[in-house]
Amino acid sequence: MDIQSTRDLLDYCQRENKSIAEAMIDQEHFKSGKPKQEIFDMMKERLEKMQRAVNEGLEDASEAPSGISGGDAVKMRAYIDAGDVLSGSIISDAMACSMATSESNARMGVIVATPTAGAAGILPGVLFSLHKNTDLDLDKLVMGLFTASMLGYIIANRSFISGAAGGCQAEVGSATAMAAGTIVELKGGSPQQAVHATAMAMKSLLGLVCDPVAGLVEVPCIKRNVIGTSIAFSAADMALASIESRIPCDEVIDTMYDIGKNMPRALRETALGGLAITPTGKQVKERLFSKTKLVKQLKGENSDESQNNDNGIKTASGVIPDRE
Amino acid sequence: MGYNSCFDIIGPIMVGPSSSHTAGAVWIGRAVFELLGEAPDRVEITLYDSFAETYQGHGTDKALLGGLLGFDTEDVRIKHAYDHAEEINLIHTFILEESCPEFNHPNVAIIKAEKGNKILEVGGASVGGGLSQIFRINNIKVEFTISTNEDLKKVVKYKNA
Ligand code: SF4
Repeated sequence: MDIQSTRDLLDYCQRENKSIAEAMIDQEHFKSGKPKQEIFDMMKERLEKMQRAVNEGLEDASEAPSGISGGDAVKMRAYIDAGDVLSGSIISDAMACSMATSESNARMGVIVATPTAGAAGILPGVLFSLHKNTDLDLDKLVMGLFTASMLGYIIANRSFISGAAGGCQAEVGSATAMAAGTIVELKGGSPQQAVHATAMAMKSLLGLVCDPVAGLVEVPCIKRNVIGTSIAFSAADMALASIESRIPCDEVIDTMYDIGKNMPRALRETALGGLAITPTGKQVKERLFSKTKLVKQLKGENSDESQNNDNGIKTASGVIPDRE
Repeated sequence: MGYNSCFDIIGPIMVGPSSSHTAGAVWIGRAVFELLGEAPDRVEITLYDSFAETYQGHGTDKALLGGLLGFDTEDVRIKHAYDHAEEINLIHTFILEESCPEFNHPNVAIIKAEKGNKILEVGGASVGGGLSQIFRINNIKVEFTISTNEDLKKVVKYKNA
């Protein structure tokens, strides 16, 4: 058993009369030989770590070492507590929990990659908002993580999940797509509906480039996580309303791959394009990296590193130290 | 490609900020630690492409050192890996290069390590989501992935390579 497409997945779910989460547990059991209870417990451990990152992040107003993120989850929580939120409690709580996680990540706190650290805020955001606002208990959320991992497994093996390989569509896009399908299954939707939600969420993020300021997983990453939760809920609600993606999910995933392959290197986590090379983005990079030891040493031998940046596309050789 | 388990997707549990540039890098360093059975005396680490461009912001250097010191991906000591390396006199040099001619991926690190009179060279690529692929151990081409502590057993097989 090795499910490589959403079509395989839906066939399996129908044949065996199982949910997507159960299909994932079956496959894991089949491939690893581990007892199902052990597999469940391992996933539960991950959920608990996620919960800790959310809780810590909601309390912690400190800045990341870079000084370019931190404190926003606390602001969001205060805004929610004031009781006049436009987007309602499901969305706003998801935003706060997601921000809390991504801010913890930027502080080098302990998080769970879902599927990556850059996109680690989306699933916990969605799950812990559902936990707070509906009657879903922690064990149900663990099942949600199995749903998410099945969808992510298909995406990762057909396409990619890292910004360096495929742009942010591969990270925030994949995580949002996984979260959308997960919400549907947790809300009692069918595997078909979950797969449609996955496709609709991913379609809305196709083409998103990876352009982190100073190469840090902070700007724009944290807010993309926060907003990813809203997209996940919108896609889930559409699917639960029986709205379908006109392009089948597997084709959407394959499109993400094609787009990623054609994405210029400058827009794939090299911090050489997009928001990273805005005037402000460049200033941040200058300010941060003039401080660190290693760069000083490199700069000593190649002091015009920043000037190589004028056309926005700097080759790596600009920072290669002279080794003689 | 190469994802085998739900825990490759939901996981690893790790210190931030990047699964490919932090957690994946820990595994590459850790492969060296496992092969030597202990931390090396001296390392020369070559970072390629995206690793070379953005290692500082992602703590890729700290993560590789952490792995070389035997830390897990969720070990909060990674944040201070330079201090821990200094404590045991681990001498380290980082070299930055463009694309790796040997392995076609943006996140490649090649580690040359010495321990006593043992010399070891390991090439690895962090392919995403905290999963690393080891592609060379000394002169032997290999092909396996590491994303959990259990996967480290795959490395140990090459101990006498
Ligand atoms: S912009 Fe890049 S680093 Fe930031 S979340 Fe997206 S893929 Fe990750």
